[in-house]
Amino acid sequence: MGTRTEIPPGTLYMLILKTLARIGPMHGYGIAQYIQQTSEEVLQVEEGSLYPALQRMLIKGWVDAEWRQSENNRRARFYKLTPEGRKQLNRELRDFERVMLAIGKVIEPA
Amino acid sequence: MKSLWRRLQWLLHRDRFEREMDEEIHHHLGLLADDRKEADVLRQFGNITLIKEDSRRIWIGTFCEQLAQDVRYALRTMASSKLFTAMAILSLALGIGANTAIYSFMDAIMLRAMPVGHPAQLAILKWRIKGDATVIHGRTGSAYREPGGGITCPNFPYQGYETLRDNNHVFSTLFAYAGGGRMNLVADGQAELGFGEYVSGNYFGGLELSPAAGRLIGPEDDKSGASPVAVISYGYWQRRFAAQAAAVGKRILVNGYPLTIIGVAPPEFFGVRPDTVAQIFIPVRQFGSLDVNQRGVSTWHTDPHNYWVEIMGRLRPGVTQAQAQAELVPLFHGWVLNSAENESERALLPTLWLQEGGSGVDSLRHQYSQPLYVLTAMVGLILLIACANIANLLLARAEARRREMAVRLSLGAGRIRVMRQLLTESILLSISAAALGTLLASFGIRALTWLLANGRENFTLHAQLDWRVLTFTLLVAVATGTLFGLAPAIQATKIDITPALKETRAGSSRARTRLPFSLSHILVVAQIAISLLLVAAAGLFVRTLGNLESVSLGFNRDNVLLFDLNPSHAGYKEPAIKSLYADLQRRFQLLPGVRGATMASVPLVANSTNTTGISMPGQPPAGRRAPSTAVMMVGPSFFDTMQIPILAGRPVGEQDIDGAPVTAVVNEVFARKYFPGQSPIGHHFFAFAYSGNRQGVDIEIVGLARTALYDSLRREVPPVTYISYLQSIKNWSITGMIFEVHTAGDPLALAGTVRRIVHDVSPQVPVAGITTQAGQIDGTIVQERTFAELCTCFGALALIMSCVGLYGTMAYAVSRRTSEIGIRMALGAERRRIIWMVLRQVLLLGAAGLAVGLAAVWETTQFLKSFLFGLQPNDPLTLSFAVAILAACAVLAGYAPAWRASHIDPMVALRHE
Repeated sequence: MGTRTEIPPGTLYMLILKTLARIGPMHGYGIAQYIQQTSEEVLQVEEGSLYPALQRMLIKGWVDAEWRQSENNRRARFYKLTPEGRKQLNRELRDFERVMLAIGKVIEPA
Repeated sequence: MKSLWRRLQWLLHRDRFEREMDEEIHHHLGLLADDRKEADVLRQFGNITLIKEDSRRIWIGTFCEQLAQDVRYALRTMASSKLFTAMAILSLALGIGANTAIYSFMDAIMLRAMPVGHPAQLAILKWRIKGDATVIHGRTGSAYREPGGGITCPNFPYQGYETLRDNNHVFSTLFAYAGGGRMNLVADGQAELGFGEYVSGNYFGGLELSPAAGRLIGPEDDKSGASPVAVISYGYWQRRFAAQAAAVGKRILVNGYPLTIIGVAPPEFFGVRPDTVAQIFIPVRQFGSLDVNQRGVSTWHTDPHNYWVEIMGRLRPGVTQAQAQAELVPLFHGWVLNSAENESERALLPTLWLQEGGSGVDSLRHQYSQPLYVLTAMVGLILLIACANIANLLLARAEARRREMAVRLSLGAGRIRVMRQLLTESILLSISAAALGTLLASFGIRALTWLLANGRENFTLHAQLDWRVLTFTLLVAVATGTLFGLAPAIQATKIDITPALKETRAGSSRARTRLPFSLSHILVVAQIAISLLLVAAAGLFVRTLGNLESVSLGFNRDNVLLFDLNPSHAGYKEPAIKSLYADLQRRFQLLPGVRGATMASVPLVANSTNTTGISMPGQPPAGRRAPSTAVMMVGPSFFDTMQIPILAGRPVGEQDIDGAPVTAVVNEVFARKYFPGQSPIGHHFFAFAYSGNRQGVDIEIVGLARTALYDSLRREVPPVTYISYLQSIKNWSITGMIFEVHTAGDPLALAGTVRRIVHDVSPQVPVAGITTQAGQIDGTIVQERTFAELCTCFGALALIMSCVGLYGTMAYAVSRRTSEIGIRMALGAERRRIIWMVLRQVLLLGAAGLAVGLAAVWETTQFLKSFLFGLQPNDPLTLSFAVAILAACAVLAGYAPAWRASHIDPMVALRHE
């Protein structure tokens, strides 16, 4: 395991949304695993923030949840992106890129 | 909005969400364990409870949390300004309390239906007439004067009732009843007085009542020749018979006449009169047998000119009241026309009309509805003042909190959020006020019941806080909270942040005051105007009461003991009654401390009258209005005892006995009306006795008495004829009498002695209605007194609340101008000038309020005309007094802040930020 880095504040929603957009409906554990693996173990999703975040996104209507059989025949809650969630993802991505660009300009050695 | 809906879903299915949360976490743990092949996943996962807590908080989250925050914050603000909070809650509580109490009475009197089947189908029959109807020879019952002139009355002749009952197609039942008055009831050897009601055979069926025990009176009991029966009330059954089933079939002596109890009325039913509790119901056919009045009662069921039974009907399904009236009016008209015997009787006939009957007979409503409307208006105005007060206080506080609001807004609080917080505060205030107000109302209801009942033993008006009243209070409270919370809240959040932030606490030079007056000034002016209205009304009622109390009576009211005796209810007949009375009078006169004892058939100033038509020999009847006189049968030494001076001739007394020519003393009104410009002594007139006597009784006038009040303080004294009770006149039999004993000391101290003497002479005759003449007179103006007292309370309340409002506004204005005043004083302004500067504004506000108030008084006091006695609605003395009181209070309320302003230390004021 490499050094674990905490997810930058405010980006967890974006990561979750992106994950769901890419791999389709998934349960909480799968989402966490996916982020961890894709980021090559750099980004560590804390369960303590993952589940409250999912709940918040449920309230906001960005994701839907339904109970399904998981791959190993266990009942699990699968989260699915809603059209509203997709819009939100685009918004967040746009904002994030702008911020990254801006930060890049600032830290770029002149 | 959607998110709110989801949150609600969550709240509703909380359990399921919790379970799912659990399952989800366990699923996660399971997968984690599979992947890591570790048993110790729990430690790695972290605090499960905390995660669950966090997720849960997200759902209930912001809304409830913010609500809790707001409530906590509101409570803290309330605690930090205790005076403000106390004043606000108290004034609103008084407003709400007064409204709830009065509304409870409205509810009890105006809205509550009788506990009978389908009350909405019931209708009461009445007739109205303008002028004197000679077709009516006798009338027993109540009548009301109508606003447009004429009277309306619910009493009909028995034959008229039968005709209507048998010939209409609109009522499924038409039943009759007549008040029996107070009856002497003896059951199981125990005697007591209770109200009786004569009812037709279809009465209970028509009301759709079922018995609590036995059976109720049916048509077969109400036929001549039927065995005499009675139904008793549930209360009497419980009290006298301990609710035993064996009571049915027992005998009961009613006014000495035996009846068989056949059943018990249902528990909550007291008859159709809300003002009395009937203890016993007797078939109306028995009316003659019971000899209650002994005035030719045998003819009461057949005499078409004697109006005495009341009628109520149950409309057939689908028939409206208007349709029923349309059918009944010509039916009754035809019958009355047929009953008229000559032209003068035919000239003016009563017209029938229908009234809703679901709440029973409207006597109470009639008595109290108008005062209640006035009181409702008054408490409504008080609530208005309270609201204005709160609005003003909140407005002032909102001003003081401008900076706080600006800070909040600049820190990113949403306007809605800030308004919500302010609204929470004001609604919290009004809810607390509503709670306190409900408490005050329950005391108020008790106090009002006590005031209105005035010691009457069977007062039936039971107002209580029921759920409707509570709903009403709650609505008022929340509406008030929203109303006075919203205006300052909107104003508070509309501020321009930057100048507000720069503002210092004492910063007064705001460019905002473009108008010469603000919302709070308008509120103060309105308060003063409303208070003037209430104080003026209170003044009018207090002066009315004063006028009533100072009416010259023309007889002695002090130290006179009154009590009723009615030996006929104990089985006494005519000669025995008179000798019993004479015996008792002799005994009373011999008592130590007694100056005189006498009796009369009618108590003085007790709203009871006894009137008969008369005719003058040789004089044509004066117009349509038949001459009439009030009649009092009096005992010997009546004029001495009551101290009514005889101006000419002689009093009637011992020598005017059975067999001698009938003689009478008349009062001055009689003499002036029927013998203008001459002495009435020696003249004769004919008095028509009660129904059945066409000839009239020849009466010789032997004396002239000074005018003394007869039945009421308010009404003009009618012509009165005093006749000795010892004389016997056909159909004028003597039954009950009111004894009048003039004592040297406290008359009530003699009550025990009187009871003992009566008991010694005749144990079967109960002494009833012990009171004093002064108490009797006071009893007739109880309503005026209650009214004056309540209105004075309301007026004072309004005054205090307005003063609080004025004081608050001025004190606030002064505190905002502290540094300005400091500068003025530092520059050498005198204290006098500072005081004047503040007072001038007070006076301006006061003057504006009084001007508006006077205009309002001018417009509205006309409605109070019927309540007043001896003064006009725009009585200048009362109005100037009210204005003076208000002006004085305004100056007083304004002087305190002015004085404080003049004592500002310039050094302190200038350093003060």
